[in-house]
Amino acid sequence: MTSAYLLIMAVVMFGHMEDFLGAALLSRPLVLGPLVGIVLGDPVQGIIIGATLELIFMGNIKVGAAIPPDVITGGVLGTAFAIMSGKGAEIALAIAVPVSIIAEMIISGLFVLRPVLNSRFEKYAESGDYRRIEILHIASGLAKPVLMGLLAFLALQLGDEVMKRFLDSIPAWVQSALTVAGNMLPAAGFALLMNLMFNKKAAAYFFLGFILASYLKLPMIAIGGLGVIIALIITDLNSKKQPADNDDFSDIPDEGTAKTGTLVNKGDLRKVFFRSLALEANFNFESWQNTGFAFSMIPVLKKLYKTKEQMASALKRHLQFFNTTAHGSTLIMGITAAMEEQNSGREDFDSESINAVKSGLMGPLAGVFDSLFWGTLKVIAAGVGISLAINGNSLGPLLFILIFNIPHIALRYNLTFIGYNTGNRFLQDLAKSGIMDKLTTGATILGMMVIGAMPAILMPVKTPIMIGAQGSQVALQGILDQLAPGILPLGLTFLTFWFVRKNIKTTWILLGILALGFLGSILHIFV
Amino acid sequence: MIKLTRIDDRLVHGQVSFTWVPSLDINCLLVANDKIAADEFQKMAFNLAKPPTVKLLIHNINQAAAFLNDPKSSNARILVLVNNVADAFRLAQDVKEITSVNFGGIRMKPGARLISKAVALDENDIAIIRQMLEKGVELELRQVPGDRKQAVESLF
Repeated sequence: MTSAYLLIMAVVMFGHMEDFLGAALLSRPLVLGPLVGIVLGDPVQGIIIGATLELIFMGNIKVGAAIPPDVITGGVLGTAFAIMSGKGAEIALAIAVPVSIIAEMIISGLFVLRPVLNSRFEKYAESGDYRRIEILHIASGLAKPVLMGLLAFLALQLGDEVMKRFLDSIPAWVQSALTVAGNMLPAAGFALLMNLMFNKKAAAYFFLGFILASYLKLPMIAIGGLGVIIALIITDLNSKKQPADNDDFSDIPDEGTAKTGTLVNKGDLRKVFFRSLALEANFNFESWQNTGFAFSMIPVLKKLYKTKEQMASALKRHLQFFNTTAHGSTLIMGITAAMEEQNSGREDFDSESINAVKSGLMGPLAGVFDSLFWGTLKVIAAGVGISLAINGNSLGPLLFILIFNIPHIALRYNLTFIGYNTGNRFLQDLAKSGIMDKLTTGATILGMMVIGAMPAILMPVKTPIMIGAQGSQVALQGILDQLAPGILPLGLTFLTFWFVRKNIKTTWILLGILALGFLGSILHIFV
Repeated sequence: MIKLTRIDDRLVHGQVSFTWVPSLDINCLLVANDKIAADEFQKMAFNLAKPPTVKLLIHNINQAAAFLNDPKSSNARILVLVNNVADAFRLAQDVKEITSVNFGGIRMKPGARLISKAVALDENDIAIIRQMLEKGVELELRQVPGDRKQAVESLF
């Protein structure tokens, strides 16, 4: 068994390598579940469990300093124990939730400890020693996968006997209650997602998605496709109207990005793009993605600055606080490369302005890219991926990765060059064209339709209640299916959404749904 | 109507548009900052970032105070954003309606100390905080609406 445990440890480590792999969703349960399944010789079960966990942890995204439960460690261990003991997704869920909460505390501890290294980074910068900055950035980044991998291995090696005995002792009624609760828990994820986008205008699209799924039984891919078409039509119709509160930006001078330099070439910028994938490797609670930013800029700095002093001041400049959406970070890096090039060639260039532009852009661009990547792309990728994977279809994880990453990588790569070549002009054109508003509106339409379809497709909550007199009983579910199919999951989703809007903590919401599931199962209200 | 006054040194960003705006049903974001109000480039950047459902205003501190004191603004559901403690204090002095200030994110700077994951304060900040407390302004630390309110003074 030890060799299998080592492979599972490798899966955990691979998951935690996400900080080197550009937050490309490779660490999500929908990807790691199948990997665990392959290791343990049951890929189909791995896909199904992965899909179930993905559903429940769907609303868990990293925005700002709010670190969500560590679904990597929790999900992998849950999937592994469930498959090894021949149990289903409900057992994986019962293990994954507590383990991910504990693992999150360990990781938060790491983020609190990492600032200790900052003085070391500063010292290396002082002496222009970019090599050591690179090494330390990578070494610190490796600490998380190594640590979590080892902990997972220990948990498997020491805990497997106890866990097996414990899982075997779970009575049947608890298992069926867990299944019911597991079917209900996705409501929390849907509600958290709705909270990002739901408003009076968007509500119509939510219900459109729901009706297409519940009455017309359209698959998720079809609803996504319709969503794209409707979003295109709606935003095109609006194309003549310019947003009213957009000022005229034509009189803004370009700030330091007039392209004159020839020192930085395509190859350097390509390196910046590849290095940007490791932006968050040394994420910490004091200066956030700062060393990742410096790490990404080093190929350019090496080209531009030949003396130790120049290199030192450039490195120090880029070890300042930095935080933005990783997926769109290359736009700022490209702009920075252009400004550094100016700075290296001109005596009169104010190097302070580089950091002013950097910190001026990181907040706003995080607003743009968070909503694009987390709010929309991730939702659609998950919706399509889960709806296939929940039935054991291996296309599910594959489409999940592709739907998110084809636009992600294309944008991330090109933004490096756009940033370098057109820099602020690009942003000004964006602002002037009002295209951002259109993009967010379109993204909201598409996102809401997919979320609306989710309760109908992905929450098999049903009731076994029979009504009518003895002898002529009718199943309540049968009546519901004729009048309003999917009304139970929809109602539950809105109930949860109401609690989310009341600012109830996610943990309490999850516990509440769990309790409702148990109660419903014991009282035979839900199956 | 001011729904929240928040200190967040990234001002308009993902956490604000994703959690606070929907949770408080905000329809107006007011960035109060002298430097940014005079910087067309930054104003443009923030205009890109705002959620489509809200109006974004960028004023210097004095204009912001005047706007908030104008009865016309009482129809809007406003989230006021400043990026440092001193600006929050200036605004709270001029605007009676501000009785509570939310501490969201203040990055580390030399001489400062982290009092939570995302908030670092130096001696200067703490002196201003004491003045605000004397005036009876509630100072609470929450990154996102679902967090439990923590009194800032209990953390240093």
